[in-house]
Amino acid sequence: MDSPAANAAFAKQIDIKFPLLSDMNRKMLTDYGILKKYDVKGDNYEWALRANIVIDKDGVIRHIEGGDSAVDPNSAVSVCTDLHKKQAAK
Amino acid sequence: MKRLLAAGLLFAMTPALAPSPAQSQNKEEVAKLSLKVGDKAPDFTLLSDEWKTVKLSDYRGKKNVFLAVYVLAFTGG
Repeated sequence: MDSPAANAAFAKQIDIKFPLLSDMNRKMLTDYGILKKYDVKGDNYEWALRANIVIDKDGVIRHIEGGDSAVDPNSAVSVCTDLHKKQAAK
Repeated sequence: MKRLLAAGLLFAMTPALAPSPAQSQNKEEVAKLSLKVGDKAPDFTLLSDEWKTVKLSDYRGKKNVFLAVYVLAFTGG
């Protein structure tokens, strides 16, 4: 897990304009079901799947994908664009 | 006002502690995404790179949220 300090260094390096968050105790990852467990020679390891999730203003999930398909953010971006259009039309 | 908040979640573990699944022949338990479209997103409280507390519920009624969970992406760990 990246600490807030490691994220801060990275954010500064590439001038990121959005928050980089750290889930140090993996609670969010567990709640969202994106923590993956591995058994390596009898020892248990866990880390997160790559995932893209879009949540609307009402707190409802509008898009969720995990694993290899989440490497490409285009489908999530398209959901965001549609969401904006619908909300702007209201 | 910016309508979209993009929040990146960064996770990294060192290779010494977590061999990649491609290198491991051991059986793995594949996590299933427990949430689906239309579900209420569970609230969370996480620390940002500016050491500020960020809660999902802070954006309720204000902004849409894009969460990108990135693993082993940036730190070289």
